[in-house]
Amino acid sequence: MQASARIWRHFDIWLLGAVGVLTIAGVALIRSAVAGNPELIELNVVGRQALYGLISLVVLFAVAAIDYRLWSAISRLLYGLMVLLLALIPIAGVAGFGASRWFEVATLTVQPSELAKILTILVLADYLGRNRPEALGTLLKSFALVALPAVLILSQPDLSTAVVLLVIWLALVWAAGVRLRSLAILLGAIVLVSLLVAPLLARYFLERYPAGEDFLFLRNYQMTRVINFLFPHPQESFGASYNVEQALISIGSGGLLGQGYGSGTQVQLRFLKVRHTDFLFSSMSQEFGFVGATITVLLLMFVVFRCLRATRLARDRYGSLICYGVAILLLFQASFNVGMNLNLLPVSGLPLPFLSYGGSSLLTSLLGIGLVESVMLRHKRIEL
Amino acid sequence: MNQHSTVPAWRLRLTLLAVGILLLVFIGRLFNLQVLQHATYSSRADDNRFDRISIPAGRGVIYDANGSLLVRNLPSFNVYITPANLPDSDAEIEAIYLRLSEITGVPLDQQGPPAAACVAGRGIRQLVEEGLTNRPFDRWPIACDIDEMTARILRQQQIDMPGVTIEAVPVRQYPTGVLTSAVIGYLGPIPAAQVDFWESLGFLPDRDKVGYGGIELAYQNILAGTNGLKLVEKDVAGAQLHEVGPANPAVPGSSLRLTLDTRLQAIATTALQNRMEFLNRLAGDVRTSIGAVIAMNPQTGEILAMVSIPSYENNRLARFIPEYYFRQLSEDATRPLINQAISLSFPPGSSFKMVTALGALNEGIIDPNRTLFDPGLITIQNQYFPNDPGKAKDFVCWKKDGHGNVDFVHGIAFSCNVYFYKIGGGFEDEVPGGGLGIDNLNVYARALGYGSLLGIDLPGEEDGLIPNPEWKRLNLGESWSTGDTYITVVGQGFVGATPLQVLTSIATLANGGRVMWPHVVRDVLDGEGNLVQRFEPCVLWDIGDGVLIPSSEIAADCPSLPPDVRELLIAEHPESPDILLGPGVLDLVREGMRLVVEDDEGTAHNYAQLEGISSGGKTGTGEFCDDTAFRRGLCIPGNWPTHSWYTAFAPFENPEIVVVAFVYNGGEGAVTSGPIVKQVLEAYFQLKAIDAAG
Repeated sequence: MQASARIWRHFDIWLLGAVGVLTIAGVALIRSAVAGNPELIELNVVGRQALYGLISLVVLFAVAAIDYRLWSAISRLLYGLMVLLLALIPIAGVAGFGASRWFEVATLTVQPSELAKILTILVLADYLGRNRPEALGTLLKSFALVALPAVLILSQPDLSTAVVLLVIWLALVWAAGVRLRSLAILLGAIVLVSLLVAPLLARYFLERYPAGEDFLFLRNYQMTRVINFLFPHPQESFGASYNVEQALISIGSGGLLGQGYGSGTQVQLRFLKVRHTDFLFSSMSQEFGFVGATITVLLLMFVVFRCLRATRLARDRYGSLICYGVAILLLFQASFNVGMNLNLLPVSGLPLPFLSYGGSSLLTSLLGIGLVESVMLRHKRIEL
Repeated sequence: MNQHSTVPAWRLRLTLLAVGILLLVFIGRLFNLQVLQHATYSSRADDNRFDRISIPAGRGVIYDANGSLLVRNLPSFNVYITPANLPDSDAEIEAIYLRLSEITGVPLDQQGPPAAACVAGRGIRQLVEEGLTNRPFDRWPIACDIDEMTARILRQQQIDMPGVTIEAVPVRQYPTGVLTSAVIGYLGPIPAAQVDFWESLGFLPDRDKVGYGGIELAYQNILAGTNGLKLVEKDVAGAQLHEVGPANPAVPGSSLRLTLDTRLQAIATTALQNRMEFLNRLAGDVRTSIGAVIAMNPQTGEILAMVSIPSYENNRLARFIPEYYFRQLSEDATRPLINQAISLSFPPGSSFKMVTALGALNEGIIDPNRTLFDPGLITIQNQYFPNDPGKAKDFVCWKKDGHGNVDFVHGIAFSCNVYFYKIGGGFEDEVPGGGLGIDNLNVYARALGYGSLLGIDLPGEEDGLIPNPEWKRLNLGESWSTGDTYITVVGQGFVGATPLQVLTSIATLANGGRVMWPHVVRDVLDGEGNLVQRFEPCVLWDIGDGVLIPSSEIAADCPSLPPDVRELLIAEHPESPDILLGPGVLDLVREGMRLVVEDDEGTAHNYAQLEGISSGGKTGTGEFCDDTAFRRGLCIPGNWPTHSWYTAFAPFENPEIVVVAFVYNGGEGAVTSGPIVKQVLEAYFQLKAIDAAG
């Protein structure tokens, strides 16, 4: 334990600081966002998020204390656990909002697909760390590793988390040093598949979409979202593009300094929907303005930057890939959420890391940070 | 470890570059939305949260000349349910519905087609359901115009019925009803086609009503006032939270005091009605159903009474316009919604001879002392076939045997057709040169107010018609003949005039040649009855001054003319008539009118002579053959049906009142209309005496 006491000198206090500020800010923003919504207040959303934050912080330190190489040793076990949990969802899961994604444990609901993100990072990092990334076999096998949980998640259905898994895979094979030629082959394959899918898609839109039918694994509502993003209806203000429209109004009306905490009209009078989760960024932008929004984006990117720094400093490839995976996970989710709020990207259920309401999401993010800290604590060989 | 141990540096650097680019994109977008487009989004956020609530302005009331109320506002009670304020439990809601249904009589549960507010047909449950799914925080009318007793019962029980409100909205009440409806008019909802226009003036289409006829329409702007406005913050569900900023208060509409005397109006109505009923009973058939009486002060143009029969009960249109009643009124061939006194023109008959008389005398066509011979019938040759007796045309006097030798004043007194044919259209060598002629006749007719609008402050004034050769060529494709002049000078043929125009022509001769602006509103009053504005009498023009005055100048002399009337008059009359009345001309014309009443053989002598008060007048019996008469087979050549006219002023020396009576298909002027005018004149002087004594 003597050694472990010394390694805490390498603890990235800047990373923790940024994460802490974001998490606390998240609780405060959720408090403002749910004001006037009796149901959410009754659920004590704010208290729950604070509690999740505390639990997650403990988890962060615990994970940081544990040598990350331990996870490498039990990688197969972790993978098996993940697949099992995801497979159990259709049997024992709780349905909500038209999809079953949650387990109910005591009064808390747990979302295994959130955990799957971290577990995928750990498993992939281990696999890519052990095998030659240049080999095409490694690439294909690693894809197969991700494909199984991704398909399970897709069947919940949860498109965005499945996409996140694929992004993690792509990021890790890229970071592991996959050959560009292999990537090119992969891209070629994707183009080929697209060409095969295109006629199907065309037929679908002409015949089956208007009838409200689904397209392969994409549900009709998901198609509608994509269409609404690509071709917004100019007169439609109460239909599907209402949320995005209200988000833009919220952000734009925030101005330079914002309308003040708890005083955002779009937020407090509930014109902005799903304010405490998907559109928390819009809510914050109205109350804290350009300055607050910019600081938030900078803080998020700063966290990503510290993770990438850990990637560079890590003593082995496993640790390095873990840090990279966490960095990309946070970067992708943050960018997608902010991009969606700014109407640069289509609406998806991806939460804003650290800030959006959701215990599983917060836990996953802090767990990831814990892993990064764990890597940082042990990046100097001499001290062991 | 080897260099493969960590992520390749260039791939890491590329990742960092991606992070940097994303950062720039996001901050750039934020800057664009929050700083550059801030104003746009800010106003859209305000549009979201602010409701502009219109505060209704009270509508002004209307008094008659003596201060009696002709229009007032009464509360009408409506029951509303605000779905969002109903209790939570279904049982309690059900209990409220049940009680409301018992008290108001609206069915509890009844399906029906969606309809506008206040239209019966659906049950309480269906009405609330509609409200709940649309705007749950708005009030939805359940029962409209319930009686006051029910409203009081509901008010008391309201405390036990959350979500239920009772509100009094003002509706118009017309105490004098059908007696004054042609002048007062009525209100109606804002028509769909005009919603934008009224909204731009601050009116609320679903709530506010606007004038549809009479003074309610003509003085809409003055009566209506200006709605106020307050800004209210609401949440996404539409619940109003609080007022924002100071409210812009409503400015109540002004009230009006008319020149109309309701007592005289009632007497005139009764006189006309009785006379028409008498005729119908005599004929054993509906001989006439249209008539009009107007009484005016010839010195000021103030209308003292204006009766139009048939009319309508404007109280039945006050709360809402019942479809069946309105359709009945609109489809009635006698057009009860039209003010017959100003909106329809009829052949004026002999009343129009005053134009001919004035013109011929002033133009020197005839020496007033010279007599012309009336054999009862004169024949004129066709001017294109002077030697073909078959094409010659006979013109008869109303008196078959003729009046013999007739001078100027007796020509008027006897209403001698042949005398007027001769001076109006010329006759052989007796009156050479074509007499007064059609062109001069036009000048004098227009000078006396025929053929154009007089600008009365009521909607729907008709301009009538004075034919001339050009008009005939354009409309009938025929040349003007002496025969046309003959029938025109006696007010037949194509001549069309409203009762108001006939009245104005006689009033002008009576008051010394001034055409007065006819008007029914004297004063604009504020809510406390203080005078805001007075519509002063206005001389439109003087027929005899011989000066050409542009109408813009005339209008300038009358600063209190309503602006729309001013514009109309300038458009209608570019300049005053170019006539110089010779000395004594008017006196002789007036003397003729005195003899109509006073001479033993004057046409109105037996019907309209007043006791103790001198008067002058002119009868008119206008032959007509319109669609109705034609269908009923009344148009027998040489014996057409006739409208009855009589117009008189009194006292003769210094006239205070001029009255016209018109009865459609009323037969001879003096017989039918004379007594009506006589009754009105007598009543006027009696009322005057009463007022002086009281």
